[in-house]
Amino acid sequence: MNPWALYALSGVALFSVGLVGLFSHQHVVKRILASNITGSGVLLVLVALARRMSSGPPDPVPHALVLTGIVVSVSSTALGVALARRMARLQAEATHLPEHEPRSDGEGP
Amino acid sequence: MTDVLLDGCLALCLPLLAWLVLRTESLSQAVVLFVAFGLLSALGWARLDAPDIALVEAAVGTGLTGALLMHTLSWTEETPPDVRARARRRPWALLATAALTLLLGWAVLALPADSPGLGPEVEARREDSGVKHPVTAVLLNFRGYDTLLEIAVLLVAALGARAVNPRSERASSDAAKDPLTGELFRMMTPALLLVAGYLVWVGDHGPGGAFQAGAILAGGGVVAILTSRMGTPRMSSLRVRWALLTGPLLFIGVGVAPLLSGRRLLELPEKLAGTLIFIVEMALTVTIAMVLLMFFPGTRPSRAGRGGER
Amino acid sequence: MTSVAALMVWPVILPLLGAVLALLVGRPGVRLVAGVASVATLMASSMLAWEVAHQGVLHQSIGGWGAPLGIEWRADGLAALMLLTIALVGPLISVHALDHFGDREDREFLPLWLFVWCALNALVLSADAFNLYVTLELTTLAAVALIAVRRDLPGLDAGLRYLLFALPGSLCYLLGIALLYGAHATLDVGTLAQRVQPGPVTWVAAGLVTVGLCLKTPLFPLHVWLPPTYTGAPTPVTALLSALISKGSFYVLLRLWLEVFAPVMDAQVGQLLGVLGAAAVLWGSALALNQTQLKRVVAYSSVAQIGYMFLVFPMATSGARAGAIYLVVSHAAAKASMFVAVGNIHQAVGITALGGVQGLAHRMPFTFLAMALGGISLIGIPPSGGFIAKWLLLNEAIGTRQWWWGLVLLVGSLMAAAYVFRILRGSFLPLPPGVTVRSIPLGNELAPLALALIALVLGLVPWFPLDLLAIGASR
Repeated sequence: MNPWALYALSGVALFSVGLVGLFSHQHVVKRILASNITGSGVLLVLVALARRMSSGPPDPVPHALVLTGIVVSVSSTALGVALARRMARLQAEATHLPEHEPRSDGEGP
Repeated sequence: MTDVLLDGCLALCLPLLAWLVLRTESLSQAVVLFVAFGLLSALGWARLDAPDIALVEAAVGTGLTGALLMHTLSWTEETPPDVRARARRRPWALLATAALTLLLGWAVLALPADSPGLGPEVEARREDSGVKHPVTAVLLNFRGYDTLLEIAVLLVAALGARAVNPRSERASSDAAKDPLTGELFRMMTPALLLVAGYLVWVGDHGPGGAFQAGAILAGGGVVAILTSRMGTPRMSSLRVRWALLTGPLLFIGVGVAPLLSGRRLLELPEKLAGTLIFIVEMALTVTIAMVLLMFFPGTRPSRAGRGGER
Repeated sequence: MTSVAALMVWPVILPLLGAVLALLVGRPGVRLVAGVASVATLMASSMLAWEVAHQGVLHQSIGGWGAPLGIEWRADGLAALMLLTIALVGPLISVHALDHFGDREDREFLPLWLFVWCALNALVLSADAFNLYVTLELTTLAAVALIAVRRDLPGLDAGLRYLLFALPGSLCYLLGIALLYGAHATLDVGTLAQRVQPGPVTWVAAGLVTVGLCLKTPLFPLHVWLPPTYTGAPTPVTALLSALISKGSFYVLLRLWLEVFAPVMDAQVGQLLGVLGAAAVLWGSALALNQTQLKRVVAYSSVAQIGYMFLVFPMATSGARAGAIYLVVSHAAAKASMFVAVGNIHQAVGITALGGVQGLAHRMPFTFLAMALGGISLIGIPPSGGFIAKWLLLNEAIGTRQWWWGLVLLVGSLMAAAYVFRILRGSFLPLPPGVTVRSIPLGNELAPLALALIALVLGLVPWFPLDLLAIGASR
């Protein structure tokens, strides 16, 4: 039996779990995780679609799309994480500054 | 029989694990579970005859993303969302997930079950693309324009990530003296370069290519950054900018050059296509490695204030 | 033939090359490189629009492979008009941005804006569903980086909020495209249009694509991210977001819906989109009337104006299409002008409250002239692009016997008149004591005026854009 349908269904389930999670969580890291799960669901659907003929090599076009998709997803995660990190740092500075001396790694004006 | 069992188990476990990732209270546990989830899903991809992109997913989609998130957790406070608020929301979320899955599953099951997709078309024109591996042919030639824009996506993300966290923490001297990591790097660096070069070369006729090679190079660099042996590449350094931008410039040049002889954008001459793709891929490997490194902002500035950190 | 088709390359490649070179040269030359790239791209876009106006629809198969293997470009009148809009509105906003930002932000703003420009032009020309996804993502990520360019808490919060709504939007779109590929083994929009059949795959794919793009545009009730994002972003970036970036996803939706989905979908779905659009008009206008912050008034007005654009879906005639696109274009100019004017006011008095405009009409005449002209277009009073757009939509509402959409147009216009009047009225009051007005560079005062004049000219000579729009409209 060709397992593509199983994995495609698993992919849409992942997509749903991620999408619902994305809108029901508040914490940035949780939401970024959820968006990665959503993305990985879509990619799993694409990989499954490439393997519908049980003989011969799989369809290379979805594989290429998936590689592009991974790059895009890593890029957006990295950007989101960078923003979150900077926010955490500014918030920490805002709460810690009154007690401590100004930090030496000044951020410029 | 065992195959069906394995596939069924895997297909069932993935959403459950994903659900668990999002349900877990502790954020660091959630990230660890996410990495486990990613590796399991790569296993699924391998079962679907996509071992090469499964490796990329495991290395980049899971490994690098997991490292990024873990790294961020060390910067942000662990503030789990309000427990009661989540408990109230759970039945609603479960219901929504189930409904959405059913709706999407209905469409998936309505898809033709034995379509070869564009496989035959790619096979028919592969000879003209200058490379033997079908995925590389699609990525760098048939749909090379997508890849050009994808490089722009990477540049934008790197630029954005560096713009908001501009100061990389310098390598601290005590970590640089650590004999163990020093020895590790002395052994690792030539091997990494060799593997990366091999991956670009093999991309022509087998699974491999610029992205895989760049990820391997970046992997070594990330370890160096996280152990404070190296600072994150800075945009203010001209050398970094050249390393980052030679690939894109070369790619644009190769894309536009055919216009001079009355051809179309990215219409590579058949005889030169293989060579051109190889050169572009070499340069892009460096770009991709640089970008991935730029995503990592160095070690966390300690709250205690070690004074000299920059 | 090839040399004409080659014209399509430059509006995409020139800003990309400009962005890469601007990054490479760094601090000293970034303005020069960006300036040259902007002028060159404006020229390239104009030349392409000229060719389309005279020769009709242009095609190019990138790499010479042709669909379904390769990626296709297609430039019809709609695409040409969008290219022109981006090329005129974008640089005027970026001129304003130069004085708004410091030296460091400049170095990051200019390359990022060029990336946005490249992405939007690529989006406008693309006839490939997956390529559209890549251009959408490039736009989103560059927009996020732009929103956060000042590295302050409101900007970072706004950027993250935008990212976390735009990402699921893109992923919904991508899953929809994956389903369509699974069913029809092609990503080419033209081929998809021929192959789609009514059935579960098409319905679910259309739903995913529509929801995804509505999240990004955004359409009521998915607009919750818009007011905080537009308020938290630096004002020139808000202008870019509202005028151009949000139009990118609407453009893709309009294209795919009219060319691919409309023939095989139930008419009720079009009605649903229309109802949501109408709700956006009423809800957005009502909230715009209730805001106490100047920038939020203009931001909520964007929720409402996007709502009008969705009235095209229930009517789905070529007249309604022209009306919606005319609104896209005139709103781009008018709203950019308003946001840039808001930026000037913030810079001059440093007050973000609505009352901050008090007494400024005499001190900043050009800024408030721009505000008034932009406001006229938002309300839809002649002569303005907004008037032509609403007139076209009203005509179609009556022509298709859906008078209720006409009612929405009229009520929305009255509400817009009220919130525009609220801003302008204050500006003619005497300057409150104790407020010092910093002088604004003349270029900054003229940029919003130039943008508002575009909206005005769209109302005075609608023939050229309307003729252009008709090229390649009936497929």
